[in-house]
Amino acid sequence: METTFFRRPIPLAAILLLAVVVHGPLLLMELPLNTSYDANLHVFFASHYAHHWFDPWNEKWFAGFSQTTYPPLAHYWIAIFSYVVGLRMAYMLVQMIAILLLVAGVYRFARLFVSERAASYAALFTVFLGTVAFLVYSAGQLSTLLSASIYLLALPYFYQWSRTAHWRGLVKGVVLILVAASVHHVTLLFGSFLFALPVLWLALADRGERSVFAVLGRAVFFAVLAGIGVGVVLLPYWIAILKHPIEQMPIPHASRSNFLLNINYAINYFFIPYGAMIVAFPAILWLGSANRRLRPLLLGFWVAFLFGLGGTTPIPKWVFGRAFEILTYERFTLSAAVLALPLVGLFAEYLLDRYRSAAVAGLAVCCVLTMGLALGWLAWSPFKTLSSLNVDQVTDFLNRDGHDKYRYLTLGFGNALPKVSTYTTANSVDGEYNSARLLPEMTRYGAAQLTSAKYFGTAGMESLRAMLKHANNYGLKFIFVHEPYYEPMVAFAGWRKVETYDYGSVTVWSKDDVSPARPIQSDAMPAPWEGLLWGTLPLGSSILAILLALLFPDRARVRETVVEFPAPTEEIYAREAR
Amino acid sequence: MKYFVPLLITAATVVLIAIAWVNSGGMERERMRSSRTSEEAVRLLLTQAQARNWDRAHALLANASDVEKSAFVADLAGSNGSLLTFANLENFDLWPLHKTDREASMRVKLHYSTAVGPLEDVRDLKVQHEGETWRVVWPTTTVARVAPQVIPVNYLRWDIINRGAEDDWGVQNVDSPQVRILSMNALQRPDRIVIVGEVVNEDTVPAYVNVGATLLRPDGSTFAQESSFDKISHTLLPKQVSPYRIDFPEARMNQVKSVRMDVKSLLVAASADPVIEVSDQRLQTDALGKNLLLGQLLNQSGQVVNIPHVVAAYYDDSGKVIWVSDGYVDQALLPQIPVPFAVDLPDDVAPKVHNYHVNVNYFNVNRS
Repeated sequence: METTFFRRPIPLAAILLLAVVVHGPLLLMELPLNTSYDANLHVFFASHYAHHWFDPWNEKWFAGFSQTTYPPLAHYWIAIFSYVVGLRMAYMLVQMIAILLLVAGVYRFARLFVSERAASYAALFTVFLGTVAFLVYSAGQLSTLLSASIYLLALPYFYQWSRTAHWRGLVKGVVLILVAASVHHVTLLFGSFLFALPVLWLALADRGERSVFAVLGRAVFFAVLAGIGVGVVLLPYWIAILKHPIEQMPIPHASRSNFLLNINYAINYFFIPYGAMIVAFPAILWLGSANRRLRPLLLGFWVAFLFGLGGTTPIPKWVFGRAFEILTYERFTLSAAVLALPLVGLFAEYLLDRYRSAAVAGLAVCCVLTMGLALGWLAWSPFKTLSSLNVDQVTDFLNRDGHDKYRYLTLGFGNALPKVSTYTTANSVDGEYNSARLLPEMTRYGAAQLTSAKYFGTAGMESLRAMLKHANNYGLKFIFVHEPYYEPMVAFAGWRKVETYDYGSVTVWSKDDVSPARPIQSDAMPAPWEGLLWGTLPLGSSILAILLALLFPDRARVRETVVEFPAPTEEIYAREAR
Repeated sequence: MKYFVPLLITAATVVLIAIAWVNSGGMERERMRSSRTSEEAVRLLLTQAQARNWDRAHALLANASDVEKSAFVADLAGSNGSLLTFANLENFDLWPLHKTDREASMRVKLHYSTAVGPLEDVRDLKVQHEGETWRVVWPTTTVARVAPQVIPVNYLRWDIINRGAEDDWGVQNVDSPQVRILSMNALQRPDRIVIVGEVVNEDTVPAYVNVGATLLRPDGSTFAQESSFDKISHTLLPKQVSPYRIDFPEARMNQVKSVRMDVKSLLVAASADPVIEVSDQRLQTDALGKNLLLGQLLNQSGQVVNIPHVVAAYYDDSGKVIWVSDGYVDQALLPQIPVPFAVDLPDDVAPKVHNYHVNVNYFNVNRS
């Protein structure tokens, strides 16, 4: 029995506690709502569910859009918690849960490939991972993180079922896949290739006396069952996407750029997410290729790494074709980092065995620097968000004197728009969720939100111009301007300044001849039965997963299936580590 | 395998990165960092201007010592709150006009994205060969200055006393000013129906005016609804007339039975100051054969007018409005300094024009 701390696995409970200690205070400070791009968007979606549980048609953006275009589970959980702690803290709570599940997920995923000790190091590094800090505090991609976490938890069951045909693995695995899909379908889709294939490879390698076809057959059965389940649980989503496939003009996104041509993009999408892991790349390559069982992991890491580089390599464009212009690529950095973590854990094991205290100090410094850099980048980055903009006076204006009879537009509010929309009863023609846009004034131009029109150059300003031209049709009476850049167009188009807030930083403009807004007819409105499914099945799948975890705990069983590493037949790649 | 896989992955990654670097214009970008040809010199200069790297751009000029940096920046990025200060140089095209070993002449078309829409600016630049490199000779312009003077303001001004601070704008207990559509003419253009005409403020107080039009189908239902948007002077002083134009893209006359016009007016505070004089107006065809209405604007007041907007109405020999065109002027109007303007006119309309009338709107940064 090993008694030295350096040679013992770190208990998962201790790592989870550390995650709470590190991320808890940042979340209690509500950092994501003030620094990230998407956190307010998730709160906005959740707010709608909190008020209209079974009605996914949201009138507040785009003169009406269907929330069935985005998997709802994270938002439903925020809505549930919001009844107790309010929307903002509910978001933080779900975000904390996502981080904890990710730590547990990485541990269980790594455990498939490496020893318990190396897996515990991998889980520990997850807490400080640059890409996690980036996604939580800068991108605000709650759904990506939560979905990836749940998906990682499902993979050991997939392995278990494929290898040993244990029915509990099938049931738990499929249910967790349904939960992951209900949180974020895109993460699941790409995860299926990047994560499931290495695990399937492992199941084949570890099959022992069992037939290859039996293992493959069970994997296919799992995939088919999960596919059918996802089809049913997210049925309203498929209906929405089939009725209105994404045909709008592509919108530029920095993650599709060639990072070599812009140092800020390189920092944002490469150096910050990977952090000190970049130093470990040679070790990842070396360890991953030295052992046959780890090669699929290395291959998965490499593919995800290439995707995460966006336009820095031609691979994403070749693979995705036209879809290249629709996807964003920062999520692949999370996949790459998670796939590399078991190897990094192994490398840490080697370093600790060889250098003891020095290695502990070195690794600790790397962890702190990685996360510190990601948090520091929130302040140093040239890509500033406007999430912290004070919009109280704007919402007060809209909520009084019947102003909410008209639609409104914000200009220069960036991602503070969802904050306005969450707390006002008025509706807007703009919105922050590009995939749900159906108004021709927006889809015909290669620009995203009207509130940020100027950043999309001529396309953005032409889109804004088209919308302002049709103001009377949409009942668009009020415009809130936070950047004086937009004032000339608004003034020449017939609006007049009526109020000023925050010492002139926000001005309110009104157009006199606009009639109150009327509902805009849309064939995208989901049927009542779709709302019923939407409000029950995704949440139901997550409750089922919790019940299965509580009623059928499987800790002991997982240990039984662990494969010794390194496999005895393999050569020793790091003698000191033995 | 232990060595092969890492080497293969590393090599493949490097090759893929190199391919993408070339595909995404890395080579071209490197070329743009040099100025070994006259084209490269102009590209380099404009790329620096695009990135607003003004120190570097100014240093690249052949006549940097003769051109003040502030004047150079004002030339490309505007000054005094003009339209160009609300603009970004999105991209540019260039082509050579003539070239010798020592010097060359290049024509550049600058594509700006501005706060009111796209703007194009065509310039001819001289490029000189100096040693190993080429450099652009930037045209030296003398900034017109006016002697210090006092300009008395004795124009009419109308203020409004509202009911109270909490009152909503537009909720007034007074009658709306009397405004009337003087004329309306529906035209079929190749890709749209256009309605042009004039509107007058017949009241003794200023009015804020919007003109809208609804095309009705033969069954009386609405076919399309549009407004004059920025092709009108929204603020009309007493007795003032403004041309307007309303466009219905992709509409055809045979789809429409009638047009319903709608004019909305509101009492607003206004001032006759600043007065902008329009002079030297003439119809002319430019080098590319385009019909233009040219002229000069002179700001007679003592304030700067940041963004002037010209709306011109054209009449046939019977006095009917046959076209309305507009254009934004990219320079600010400084007091007493004339600034040229040009708005275009369709080829088929130009021969029918008997007379024209120019209205000038404006936007001021601190007064809107």
